[in-house]
Amino acid sequence: MSRAIKMEDLSVVIKGKEVLKNIHLSLDEGIFLGIVGPNGGGKTTLIRTVLGLLRPTTGTVSVFGRSPESLLTEDGAFGYLPQQQNIDPNFPATALDIVLMGRYRSAGALRWPGKKDREKAVQALSIMGVEELKDSQYSQLSGGQQQRISIARALAGDPKILILDEPSTGIDVVGQEDFYHLLKGLQKKMNLTILMVSHDIGTVTTYVDEIACLNINLYYHGNPLGALNEKVLTSLYGKNVDVLMHTDVCDKCERLRK
Amino acid sequence: MPEALASPFMQKALMAGVLVSLLTGLISTFVVLRKMSFVGAGISHAAFGGVAIGFYAGFNPLLAAVVYAVIVAIGIETTAKRGRISEDVSIGIFYSISMAIGIALVSLSQSYNIDLFGYLFGNILAITHDEIILTLITSAVVIAIILFFLKELFLITYNEELARVSGIRVNLLNILFLVALSVSIVVSIRIVGIIMVSALLVVPGATARLFAKGLRSMIAISCAAGLVSVVAGLFFSYQYDIAPGAGIVLTSAVIFFTSLVLKKRG
Repeated sequence: MSRAIKMEDLSVVIKGKEVLKNIHLSLDEGIFLGIVGPNGGGKTTLIRTVLGLLRPTTGTVSVFGRSPESLLTEDGAFGYLPQQQNIDPNFPATALDIVLMGRYRSAGALRWPGKKDREKAVQALSIMGVEELKDSQYSQLSGGQQQRISIARALAGDPKILILDEPSTGIDVVGQEDFYHLLKGLQKKMNLTILMVSHDIGTVTTYVDEIACLNINLYYHGNPLGALNEKVLTSLYGKNVDVLMHTDVCDKCERLRK
Repeated sequence: MPEALASPFMQKALMAGVLVSLLTGLISTFVVLRKMSFVGAGISHAAFGGVAIGFYAGFNPLLAAVVYAVIVAIGIETTAKRGRISEDVSIGIFYSISMAIGIALVSLSQSYNIDLFGYLFGNILAITHDEIILTLITSAVVIAIILFFLKELFLITYNEELARVSGIRVNLLNILFLVALSVSIVVSIRIVGIIMVSALLVVPGATARLFAKGLRSMIAISCAAGLVSVVAGLFFSYQYDIAPGAGIVLTSAVIFFTSLVLKKRG
């Protein structure tokens, strides 16, 4: 198994503030890594560094053995899902138009995506189970549908690695379960490497292969089962973290009831 | 209106109007989608400074305005990005300074120059043959540049960060768009004037956004709305003897509000 991402002693300072400190991370190809942590803990900065949008102040980062900046110019290395933005309700694009954006680079200059690109885009929509929405106005769809279409866009470019920034934002709890389930299926079916950051520490642990916690420093835990115990979460989020065991009966509800 | 079309000044006005409506129709699509209406208004007011510099220094006022507007547009963006101030504050600073420079230079020239009012309020009927040629060349170049980078600009409009990850040189294209916007504004100044030019940059795109499902249909509707506004506005101004710039802007407003009502009903 070869290495997808390697970070060594990486630090990022933005406007005099240390946002990431002494990060060491090694992610093998085909692994689904979840990184959880509080807001302001550096999750998006870490993603931007992996994508080559931000240069580390010290240390190194490599993706598939190369610098991320050089990969930016290569076709289809990254499939990226940025944090969900509030899109203009009249934004003139159908779901298919959005997925075709993932084919812009391969279409080349002065050329709009052609028939082959269109087929690829429809195939990506089909993988995500939203082919019937292809002619729908993208901005009018629900948060969950928009996220599926955005993943289809990322997949349309045949990426080697999927990088997801808070992908469950705007999706209801039931929808989140379906969404993560779909991601897990994609990873297995397409042998994708997935790096996902999320503040959602509950559901993430069920689906990822490996987990790490980030709050300026990165704490790598490997197997997610039992990794996020009270001690870890307290050090990550500060004091007063109440860990609830969601079995058939909710601990806290029971305690309150008594 | 056949008698109106028979007069050479109306023919020239129509030619210039058609060119400018197609140019601003295209630019307006991105101005509206990228929420740059205030940037357009800022650059157009700043162009007054450029026109006044041209008059004062004895250069062609339109060329001086193009250069000045491009400098101001880039100044607005870089000050907002590096100066830790928001874009609307940056626009407010630049356009008030430019207007002040313009007024100061007009005062210094100590002559009441009637041409200056042609730039402030537009005078499409007085457009010269050379100005039509200049409009034709600049419109063709700007339209070609925008169409060349159409899908890249669309992706930047959708999500800048995504565009960067797709290997698009976002900063360079943003500057190129600002240059295209500045040139379009200056070219349109002779048609509707500095005061009203932002209407041509905003209203056609806003009308198109009500109906368009895709980028290309939005561009087509925006250009059509701009074209109808300019042509119908010109004829109304001829018929009712009102200033052509005002006629064009009011026609575009009627088209927009009618579309809004139709959209709400439909």
